Amino acid sequence: MPASEYGTDSPNVDRTHKTFVDYIERTRAYYLARGYGNPYAYAYYRRHVPFTPLRKPLAESRVGIVTTAAPYQPDKGDQGPQAPYRMDVKFREAYAAPLEPAPDLRISHLAYDRKHTVPADLNAYFPLAQARQAVQEGRIGSLSPRFYGVPTTYSQRATISRDAPFILNECRRDGVEIAVLPAV
Amino acid sequence: MSLTARHLEENGIATVVLGCARDIVEHCGVPRFVFSDFPLGNPCGRPFDTAMQHDIFELALRVLESAPAPRTTVQTPFVWSDDPSWKDDYDAVPLPAQQTAAPL
Repeated sequence: MPASEYGTDSPNVDRTHKTFVDYIERTRAYYLARGYGNPYAYAYYRRHVPFTPLRKPLAESRVGIVTTAAPYQPDKGDQGPQAPYRMDVKFREAYAAPLEPAPDLRISHLAYDRKHTVPADLNAYFPLAQARQAVQEGRIGSLSPRFYGVPTTYSQRATISRDAPFILNECRRDGVEIAVLPAV
Repeated sequence: MSLTARHLEENGIATVVLGCARDIVEHCGVPRFVFSDFPLGNPCGRPFDTAMQHDIFELALRVLESAPAPRTTVQTPFVWSDDPSWKDDYDAVPLPAQQTAAPL
């Protein structure tokens, strides 16, 4: 990506905002201001972060997509791009489902920015077209015939002890060597 | 999502997380992270901008190939809007009344 392709910053570019939003601080202040004295403790690992170097070229590797998006449930009302936050359509169990035909995945059960974005395009939060193109171009070897859904749960212990091992097991069944995880 | 990436990586599957909440992902600590400074909900690029989505996915593949160590974060070069005020809104706590009163 040469810099010129994306333009250069004008001299009056805003310098009053950081390059990222402090979501941890923001939600902590939000809940404290509403009288909740026990802000959410985000997962935090200070020392150990695992690392598995690639063992072979991407062009020979199988890629799987892991998502927190949910398959559309036709009997449960509006889950579309204009839907309010739908806590009630959250899924509780990790799942694996076929990539063909293309899945209808929604994010109405997730806390995305409803004021500044409209999730009307699957590929903005689940890179299906991008991954298929990468296979066609030989950039990656193959795409797993299934994708993998992991629930967003308050309990980090549930993610670590139940959901993540399920996803690992299903990925292994499909011969997945590389996982792409778009976090909504 | 970060916890799942860590578990897969720990067990031999190389991972890359794409996302817009830099502090949350880095707080947890993941092997590889491609960050876009966008409103939550767009980890793979702006809706219907296929060129941007392609570039972000390709960047994720390059990060998979070349990350030297865990906690590798690469920020995409894209800007959501020239007006950064969207960053002020998410879960914003209203200012106390005396600070929002009209100036004397």
